[in-house]
Amino acid sequence: MLTALLLSTLLLSDTGDTLSAAHVRGVKDRPVVRATEETKLSKAKAVPWQLADVLRNFTGVQVKDYGGAGGLKTINVRSLGSEHTGVFIDGIQIDNAQNMQVDLSRFSTDGFGTVSLFNASKSVRLQTAREYASGASVHLETLRPESDLLRLKLRTGSFSTVNPSVEWHKLKGGLAIRSSAEFLYSGGRYEYPYFDTTLVRENADIRSLRAEAQLMGRLDGGEWRLHLYSYGSERGFPGPVIRRAAAFPFSAERQADQDCMVQASWVQDWSESYSTALRGKYSYNYTHYSTHPELNPMALPYDLHYRQHSAYISLAQTAQLGPFWSADLATDLQGNGLEHDAQMSSSPRRVLFTGALAVRMERGKFRTAAHLAYMGAYDSYSEIRPGAWSRDNAWRDAWMPSLSMAWEVLPWLEADAFVKQSCRLPSFNDLYYTLIGNSALKPESALQLGSDFRLHWEDAGASAQFRLSPYFNRVTDKIVAIPTVSQFRWTMLNIGLVHVTGLDLSARASRSGRNWSASASLRYSFQRAVDRSVPGSQTFGNQIPYIPLHSGSVYAVLSWKQWTLSWDTAYSGRKWSRSANTQDYLVPSWTTSDVALERLFLLGKNAEGPQLKLSLRCSNVFDARYQIVQAYPMPGRSIMLNAEFSF
Amino acid sequence: MKKALLFLCTAAFAFACTKDLEPSRDILLDGDKVEVEAYSDCGSKLFVLNEGGYGSNNSSLDFLRFSDGCYVRGAFRKMNPDVAGGLGDVGNDIAVIGNELWIAVNNSGIVQVVSAEDEKELAAIEVPMPRNIAFDDKYAYVTSWAGAYANGTYDKDGNYSITDSNNPKGRVYRIDLATKALAGSVEVGYQPEGIAFYDGKLYVANSGGISSQLPPLYSYDNTVSIIDASSFKLDGTVEVQVNLKNVYADGKGMIYVSSFGNYWDVHSGMYAFRASDPSRSWRIGADSAVKPEALNVSCSCICGDTVYCIGTPDEFSWGSAHSYSLWSYSTSDAASGKGEVKLWPLILSGVPYGLTVLAGKNGDYMFVCDAGDYFNPGTVSAYDLSDGTKLWNVTAGVCPGHFAIW
Repeated sequence: MLTALLLSTLLLSDTGDTLSAAHVRGVKDRPVVRATEETKLSKAKAVPWQLADVLRNFTGVQVKDYGGAGGLKTINVRSLGSEHTGVFIDGIQIDNAQNMQVDLSRFSTDGFGTVSLFNASKSVRLQTAREYASGASVHLETLRPESDLLRLKLRTGSFSTVNPSVEWHKLKGGLAIRSSAEFLYSGGRYEYPYFDTTLVRENADIRSLRAEAQLMGRLDGGEWRLHLYSYGSERGFPGPVIRRAAAFPFSAERQADQDCMVQASWVQDWSESYSTALRGKYSYNYTHYSTHPELNPMALPYDLHYRQHSAYISLAQTAQLGPFWSADLATDLQGNGLEHDAQMSSSPRRVLFTGALAVRMERGKFRTAAHLAYMGAYDSYSEIRPGAWSRDNAWRDAWMPSLSMAWEVLPWLEADAFVKQSCRLPSFNDLYYTLIGNSALKPESALQLGSDFRLHWEDAGASAQFRLSPYFNRVTDKIVAIPTVSQFRWTMLNIGLVHVTGLDLSARASRSGRNWSASASLRYSFQRAVDRSVPGSQTFGNQIPYIPLHSGSVYAVLSWKQWTLSWDTAYSGRKWSRSANTQDYLVPSWTTSDVALERLFLLGKNAEGPQLKLSLRCSNVFDARYQIVQAYPMPGRSIMLNAEFSF
Repeated sequence: MKKALLFLCTAAFAFACTKDLEPSRDILLDGDKVEVEAYSDCGSKLFVLNEGGYGSNNSSLDFLRFSDGCYVRGAFRKMNPDVAGGLGDVGNDIAVIGNELWIAVNNSGIVQVVSAEDEKELAAIEVPMPRNIAFDDKYAYVTSWAGAYANGTYDKDGNYSITDSNNPKGRVYRIDLATKALAGSVEVGYQPEGIAFYDGKLYVANSGGISSQLPPLYSYDNTVSIIDASSFKLDGTVEVQVNLKNVYADGKGMIYVSSFGNYWDVHSGMYAFRASDPSRSWRIGADSAVKPEALNVSCSCICGDTVYCIGTPDEFSWGSAHSYSLWSYSTSDAASGKGEVKLWPLILSGVPYGLTVLAGKNGDYMFVCDAGDYFNPGTVSAYDLSDGTKLWNVTAGVCPGHFAIW
């Protein structure tokens, strides 16, 4: 963290003139099919603290949350499975070859300017091939310095949570610098009901530190970015709430992580009709997981270390073919490696090539895009111990076509439709996990058909939007763990088949006056996600685990002068934790409401001057007792005080 | 079910003073009806323990009542609604002694004792990671995985070294049958599993199932620990085969031990030794016409002096579907340990996870648990062993795997 700040300071030892932010030459960057959901965090008021709390309100999204600040949080879009959702920071994917999931608990809303969700292909120029290849994608855009800024923030509240952060922006010449650091401690001791008593979640504390620095510069007809990112955490896993003898704790499991990443991009317009983007990334990921059996006699004695390396390079080219057409070619190459001491296993490596050829057409009120992506991966392992499992090195590949189109039917009505095939590779865990892994797995593939109808109306000081999005998804060759000969011998097989029929609805209205504004949004999702794997089995035709049939949210913001009041209610209908949809595995529906009050104090002469923002947020106002994942209780009512000083 | 409970409370109250007339207060629990006539002379109830999933707290106790052929699911929770958490997480073994049913609830750290009559809780004894249960006339003996750990660090070159090579072995805990109090423990091998009592000695199968996955050993245990019951001290350790699972005593001097193999180059199988000469063990089938390669063990049981095994020779294949065959073995000459392998004309599919055989008045009947996908409820099926016909099939809880007859 200090290094990042120092580096930035050194580069800017003299405080010279300030120029406007780095800006790309005006080429249309509008996606063919618009984002399903988009939140401009930098503009929004009373923004929640955790990124997962922003994403959970998006239509079609399920955030699987194990509770508390340190609990695992993964995102599942339209029941495709979290492995099919790519999470991108400034267009470069966060990858985890070990389990193909991104833990959202590692991200707060600090430092991000925009969060958007795409179901269809984003289809803008100069995308990486990984973006074309992912099923659904969440795009996180880091804050772009627009003026010199120093912002100090402190959040503190329930469960002994302390969360200070600093954000520093500097513009100099064609150079923009952003540096940011954030520390979090949360004791995580929250009460939850256990039959007729109340217990306290133990061993759920977390401390983490994020530090990052970004440099952005302009070139003649281009721009470049360099991003250094580091995140470290140490946390306890409180474990599932089960019957446990009073003498023994639920869990003494701890995990320490260290993620480091450096990513860079260079976008250049070589002529009016030809541009390129070169991007690269290197990331290192260390995890130490220990069950601490010396503290918990009930623990299975795991003390494991994982090290993941990932190197990535991407070249995207775009050519304007006449006034209406453009074509893109993106080629990505990625290498992943995992070293660990778990089991008698191997150190798997993966070389992944992804390529995509895309064309886009925009003519009047009609836009269309098509792409064909190809993914090929060579997986190999090195036997590091005698007696290790013999696994074949394997080549896996898949073709992934997509077509999308959008039409502005009337000035107030837009319609679009897309069909997309995408694939996810088996993770290292799927392939190589001892006694389970199966190196003969094929990629799991998802076919998505969807469309959106958008109505919008605008008048002076008022606007309204409405969106209706029906869709159908089919996940084939789904990778499922199934037991084979004995209870200790499972294997992963491509036998799953899931059909998802869904509907997203979203309505939004806003109105503003001279010193006030009000806006409200209503979202609803219907998802019928059915297991179609084995005809005649007891689970055939049942709803798959953890997908509610109905879910939705209501969000309202009221601003008056320097005051803002926001209200947020989320609802998740009943669901099952197993495909056997029986009473024993019913996860009841829940409703939680958050309320936040914010007051802005302008300390200077105008809005550009120093300002102080104070806010108070109460999460789960009605103290709802609920679980998102069975046996993992969520916290009840909590308070968070936020003070933000920027100048 | 609520209705049944209400009814039950009323009934219990009404008959409180005429308790002796009520043979079992769980008689009002209802379930699927099956035909039980042929083996109803074997006892009153056949208990089935569903393991549930690790961390899911969904272990459950079912029983088949012979008086009316009713298969009752979730009896523990129904009869003990006030026990917070129900039966608990991962029930691993059940055993009957007298009118008591003992249940090792592995991941709850509890040995649960209930009345075999009505499944009411009698005692919950805290034992870390309990696995399997055996009895003599004064004590219950419970194998436990407790305490195994290994800690290490990486140096700057990334080499792993063990800083604390303490990888303690498992233990056998002794519990007084009368007081239900712990009465000491004895260290045995790594991750002990099955346990059997015969002629003053306890035989404990050590698996090393966790040690095989972890530093520093990365290997299975292959020993049987022998404990002298009267002194409760380790009497000896003999090597048999890797990854041992169940132990049975046939009451005539033979001890049988099953091995899961190492899932790689050592296949599963059943091993035997004489209690009088434990150091000399052999694989069943070694001297028979049926070669041992065909005698694999996915699950097993003992009925009288005969061990029954279900296995598949194609256990290292990655396919999902396997076909299993049933074979049995009993010793005809206790002095030499020689005996007969019998292959039964029965082919099973699915995931056989537990079995038991009851000797009825007209022949032998086999009950097999199918774990299904280990995640959703499994099934219990009954077979007539005389011709291999399937008699019935009922849905059980998640991962049914253990039987006890009362």
